[in-house]
Amino acid sequence: MDDIKVLLFGAAADRAGTRETQVPTGETTLEELWLLLAERHPGLSPMRDTLAFAVNGEYARGDTLISPGDEVAVLPPVSGG
Amino acid sequence: MFAIVEEPIDVAALISSAQRPDCGAISTFVGTTRIDESGEASVEYLEYEAYRPMADRKLAEIGAEIEGRWDVRVVSIVHRIGRVDPGEASVAIVVASPRRGPAFEASRYAIERIKQVVPIWKREVWSDGYVWVGSQVGTRERAGLP
Repeated sequence: MDDIKVLLFGAAADRAGTRETQVPTGETTLEELWLLLAERHPGLSPMRDTLAFAVNGEYARGDTLISPGDEVAVLPPVSGG
Repeated sequence: MFAIVEEPIDVAALISSAQRPDCGAISTFVGTTRIDESGEASVEYLEYEAYRPMADRKLAEIGAEIEGRWDVRVVSIVHRIGRVDPGEASVAIVVASPRRGPAFEASRYAIERIKQVVPIWKREVWSDGYVWVGSQVGTRERAGLP
């Protein structure tokens, strides 16, 4: 089974202790993927309400379907400027 | 021109490349790193990171939004990432328009949108640890961080 690549940024990378991880799963939703991620990296859980997600480089909602080969990004509140 | 760069931003070059005979106004917004202090600690520099190429694309989308709303002829947004020292430019926005109103409004719009939608993050590196701005996650004990 192929993996879903997950990139983590900023405070989320700190909390997870990694900037990139592979999650082995079939087709799923972003929300389901989050549960797998949070199980693996419990430090992320308290950030849940502040996080946004992107799938293949575009903001996506929790019910978005994702498949192996997709790139998911975990995005803390942006602070550019 | 929309760009994310790792070196100092050449603001003067951005402005001169926005000069056109059909425009009577160029507005420039430059965001610079501000040093905060608390107690005996102070911010030494800021460090930015971006999710690329999404961040590059979002800058261009902001440009397209601006062109859809105002009569502007040039929109340039350049954001710097990596270490940015106190007082240096972290972002520069240059808008050229036939008239000043749209130029002012569009540059204000651009910086507000950057702060809403562009996946760029900064951390303040203090003399006693760091803090991710907006998440309050980091290594500074004095800030009451975990």
